Amino acid sequence: MRLKLGLEVLGLLVLALLIAVMPRLVDNFTAYEMATVGMYFIALLGLSILTGYSGQISLGHGAFMAIGGYTTAILSVDHGVRDLWTIPIAGLVAGVAGLIVGVPALRLSGLYLALITFGIAVSFRQIPIKFDHFFGGTTGKVLGLLKTPFGLSATPEDWIYYLTWGIAFVLLVVAWLFVRGKPGRTLKAIRDSEIAAASSGISIARYKMIAFGMSAFYAGVAGALYAIARAYMNPDVFPIILSVYLVAALALGGIDSFVGLIVGATIIYVLINRADDVTGWINHLPGVSLDSKRPGMPDVIFGAVLILVLITLRTGVGGALRRAFGPLTTRLYSRS
Amino acid sequence: MVVRALLVCVLAAAVVVAAAGARPLATPGVTANEIKIGSSVPLSGEAAIAGSVARGIDAYFNYVNAKGGVFGRKIKFTYLDDGYDPGRAVNNTIRLVQQEGVFAMFSSLGTSNNLAVRKLLNDAKVPQLFVSAGATTFGRDYKKYPWTIGYIPPYSEEGAIYGRYVVQKIKKPKIAVLYQNDDYGRDLYSGLQLGLGKKRSAIVAKVAYDPTSTDVQPQVAQLKASKANVFMIFAFGKFSLQAFNAVSRLGWKPQIFVNDVSSASALMEIVPQSAANGSISIVFGKDPAAPIWRKDKGIRLFQSILKQYGGNDIGARDLKNGFYTAGMATAYTLVDALKKAGRNLTREGIMRAATHLNEKGNPFVLPGIVVRTTPNSRFPITQVKLQRWSKKAWRPFGKLISINPR
Repeated sequence: MRLKLGLEVLGLLVLALLIAVMPRLVDNFTAYEMATVGMYFIALLGLSILTGYSGQISLGHGAFMAIGGYTTAILSVDHGVRDLWTIPIAGLVAGVAGLIVGVPALRLSGLYLALITFGIAVSFRQIPIKFDHFFGGTTGKVLGLLKTPFGLSATPEDWIYYLTWGIAFVLLVVAWLFVRGKPGRTLKAIRDSEIAAASSGISIARYKMIAFGMSAFYAGVAGALYAIARAYMNPDVFPIILSVYLVAALALGGIDSFVGLIVGATIIYVLINRADDVTGWINHLPGVSLDSKRPGMPDVIFGAVLILVLITLRTGVGGALRRAFGPLTTRLYSRS
Repeated sequence: MVVRALLVCVLAAAVVVAAAGARPLATPGVTANEIKIGSSVPLSGEAAIAGSVARGIDAYFNYVNAKGGVFGRKIKFTYLDDGYDPGRAVNNTIRLVQQEGVFAMFSSLGTSNNLAVRKLLNDAKVPQLFVSAGATTFGRDYKKYPWTIGYIPPYSEEGAIYGRYVVQKIKKPKIAVLYQNDDYGRDLYSGLQLGLGKKRSAIVAKVAYDPTSTDVQPQVAQLKASKANVFMIFAFGKFSLQAFNAVSRLGWKPQIFVNDVSSASALMEIVPQSAANGSISIVFGKDPAAPIWRKDKGIRLFQSILKQYGGNDIGARDLKNGFYTAGMATAYTLVDALKKAGRNLTREGIMRAATHLNEKGNPFVLPGIVVRTTPNSRFPITQVKLQRWSKKAWRPFGKLISINPR
C-alpha cells in the first residue's frame, strides 16, 4: 500500500516536471493548444469524480462550463474585475449551480439523471439570449485580450498554459486526495450499490450532492479559463454538443483514471480542432483519400475515429495503461 | 539519462528560437513567390453548407495561380473548420496568424465569429478582410478597428429595402414577421421597421424562433392567425424551408419576402411552389442556378473555374450552387486589392487598397454593381436588386437599388 502511494506521488512529480518544461519544447501556438487541452482536462477531472466514482452520468457539463465562462466574462467586462480573480468565483458559481442540480440527482439515477442533465445543457443557452442585457445575447461579450500579468516575462500563450496547468495540477491533487480516502470509497460504494451503501450507514444524498457540486466547480473553473483564453463569450462558445464530447472524452480516457483523462482530453481537442491533420494521417492508409475541406467531412471523421478508438480501447486509455502495467505493479504491490 | 535527454531537447529548442530570431524583418506571410491567406469557416455542424464559400474562394485562387498569380506570387489559401463556434474561430485565427504565418485573414464567416477575433487581429495589426457577415459594425467602426472591413450589404439595410418596397407597392399592408432570435434576425427586423418608417404599425405580428429549435411550423400558424397579407421570412436554411412548407400546408396566401441568406435556389426549388411563387428577395451576386445567366460570361467563367480547380468531387449540383459564386466574387475583389496594393506588398498597403476600391468589372456580381470603398465608407457592396421567384427560378426585376449604411 505504501509502495502504491509512493508510485502515485512519484507519478504526480513527473507530471509536474513535464508540465513545467513543456513550453520550452514546443512553439507558442502549441502551448496555447495544450492550455486548451488542460481546460478540457480540468472539466474531465470533475466529470470523473461524478461519473467514475459516484456513478452518476451528466450530459450537462458543457452548461456548467458556460456558467463559469459567463461569470468570468460578466465580471471582467462589466465590473472590471481582473480575469485571474474571476476564476475561483466562476468555479463557486458553477459549483452552487451544480449543488442545485444535485437535488434531483438524489432521486434520479442512471438514464433519467442523464436526460435531466442533457435538458440543462440544451436549455441553458436560452438564458443568455433571453436576458441579453445582462449576458450579451448572441452578440456576446468581448473580453480583454489575453495578456501576461504582473510584468512576468512570458508570452500570453505560455502564460495561459502555465496558469491552466498550474490550476489543473492543484485540482488533480485535490481530486486524488478526495478519492483515495474515505469519500472516494464512499462514492464507489454508492456507485456499486446504493442499497448496500445506505444500509452501511452512508448518507447517499449528501455524497451525491457533494460529488455534483465538486464536479460542477471543476467545470466552472475550466469554463472561466476557456473564456479568458478565447477572450470572447456567447452561447455558441460552449455548444450543446460539448457536453457529449466531454462524456466521450471521459470514456476515451477511462472513467476513473486521472492520467488517462489527459489523453482523453488530447484526443477530443485534436478531433475537434485538428480534423484537417487527422484526415491527413488517415490519408496515409493505402487506398484512402478523404477531403477534409468537404463540408460535413469533419463530422464524419470525428464519429468514425471515436468509434474506432472505443472499439479498440474498451476501457479507455486508462484501462489500457492499467492492463499494460498491471503485471508489473501487482508484483510490486504484493511484495510490499 | 533522462536529464541528458531533457538537456538535449532544451538545447534543440534554444537553437530553434535563436534561428527564428535571426530572420530578417519582412511582411509576414509574403515571400517573393507566395502570399499566405487564412480563413475560418464552418465545415461541420448545422452551418456546414455555407463552408462552400471557402471552396469557391480556393478554386478562384487556384485559377489565378495557374495564370501566374499576383505579381508572380501564388496565393496559398488555408481555411479551417470552426463548426460555427466562435471559440474555435479564435483558436483557428491564432493558429493561422502564429503558426501558419498568414499575411491576412479573409472572408471568415459569421458575425460572432468575426467579432470574437476582431480585437485580436487589430491588436496584432493583421488585416481582417472582407468578412462574410452582415453586421453593420464591421463597416462602421473602422476608427476603433482600422484593420477590419466588411463585404456584403448589412442585414439591417436588406430589411429596410423590404420595408420601403412594402410602403410603395402594397396597399393596406398587414405584415407578419418570422425571424431568428439572434443578431442576424434582429438586424433584419429592425431594418424592416426603419424601412417602413411611419407605416411601422403595419407589422401586426412577429415571432422569433431559436436557432436550435427543431421546427417553426407552430410559429407560422401563430402568424397566420394575425390575418396578415405580407409574410417576412428572416430565417436560415432549414427554417426557411419549414416556413414555406407551413405556409403551403396552412393554405395561407400572403406576399412572401425571404431574406437573401435563406433564399438559395436549391432551397426554393424543393419547397411547395404554391407558396414559393411570387416571393421576393434581394440579390447582388449572380445566381448560377438562375436561367437568365445561363449564357453569361461571368457564370461560364465560374463554372469552368470550379470544374477545373474546385477539386475532383465537383458535380453538376455544385455548378449551380450560389455559395461557390459568392466565394469567387469576394476572391475576385481580394485579388483586385492585392494588385492595387502593388508589388511591394505590406499589411498597410493592402488596407489602403481595400479602402480605395473602385471595381467595375467583377464578373460574379450583377452587371452595373461597382464594388466601391473609401477610408470612411467600408461597405464594398452597396447596390442590390430585387428578385422574384417564378417558374422555379429567381428573376431579378427593377433597377439597382443603392443603400447607404451608417
